[in-house]
Amino acid sequence: MNENAFDQLAIGSALPSVPFAVTRETIRAFCDGSLDYNPLHLDDNYMQGSFGKTQFGGIIMHGMTNFGLLSRMLTDWLYTNGGEQRRLETRWLAPVKPGDTITPNGRIKAKKHTEKSRWVTIDVNITNQRGETIAQGEATVEFPHQA
Amino acid sequence: MSASTQFDTDFWKDAKSRKIWDEIIPGEPRKTLPYLLTLEAIHSYCRSVGDLHPLYFDAEYAKKSRYGGLIAPPSIHILLMFACTPMDDWMRSPGTINAGQSWSYNLPARPGDTITLQARALDKFIRKDRLFAVHDNVFFNQHGQVICSGRGQTIRPV
Repeated sequence: MNENAFDQLAIGSALPSVPFAVTRETIRAFCDGSLDYNPLHLDDNYMQGSFGKTQFGGIIMHGMTNFGLLSRMLTDWLYTNGGEQRRLETRWLAPVKPGDTITPNGRIKAKKHTEKSRWVTIDVNITNQRGETIAQGEATVEFPHQA
Repeated sequence: MSASTQFDTDFWKDAKSRKIWDEIIPGEPRKTLPYLLTLEAIHSYCRSVGDLHPLYFDAEYAKKSRYGGLIAPPSIHILLMFACTPMDDWMRSPGTINAGQSWSYNLPARPGDTITLQARALDKFIRKDRLFAVHDNVFFNQHGQVICSGRGQTIRPV
C-alpha cells in the first residue's frame, strides 16, 4: 500500500482499464452470475417485440454488466493503491448487443480532504467499438489515512 | 447445490403474481429472503465480468491483505438483489428495463456471510410516456453491519 498514492493523483489522469468482448455466452454467464434471467437477455423471440417506443431486435446485455465492469476497473486500481470504492452511480444511454466490445473509462475529476479522510471523484463511462458512449456516471473513492 | 438449481430461471412462471406499476406502493417494504453467500456464487459472478482478482480467488493472498481474508467485489449487490428477493418480486417482471443505479459501499461482503436485504419502492412516476419505479435497498451482513446501500430506476413493462 502506498501512503502517498492520494497525493500523487493528478486531476484529469485516466485509470487503467481493459476492454470486454460481449457474446451470447458472456450474457448467459451474467444471467447465472447475477441470477437475473430476464428474457431481455435470453429470448430472441421475445426481443423481436416492441417495448414502448423501443425495439431491440434481439437479446441485449444486462445494464448491470456495465456497472460490474466499472467497479472492476475501480477496484483493480484501488486495491494496489490502498483505496476503497465508496460510491458508484451510472445511467445507461444505449443497449449493448452480442458482438460489441465495450471499454470502461475513468478520469480523475476532483480530490478532497475531509476531517478524517481523503476522497477522489472520478468521471466514468463505457464506450463501445464505434466510440459511442453507452453508460455514464461518477464514482467516489476513499484513500483512508493509514492507522 | 449450485445457484442455477436453487433459483428458478423462468421469469415468466410467476409473472401474473408480480405487482404491475399501478400496484407498486412507494414506501411499502418488499418481501426479502436471507441468503447465504457462498464462495461458489461469488466466483460465478466474478467470472461473468472477467474479474479474477486474487482477493476473491486466492485465500492465501487475501489472508495477507488488509482485508484479512477472501472478500466479494463491491458490485456483488447485483447478485444479492436477485438472491435476496422472492420469485414474485416485481424486479423480475419480464421486460423490466434498468435505467440507472447509484450505490454506496461500507464493508465488503465475505464468503459465508448471511446477507439480508431491506428494500422498498421509494417513488414512481411517468416520464416521456414511460412508467418508472425507483427502488431503494440496503444489504446487511449477519452482524447487522451495512454492506452497501443503493437505489435504482427501472422502466416498467406495459
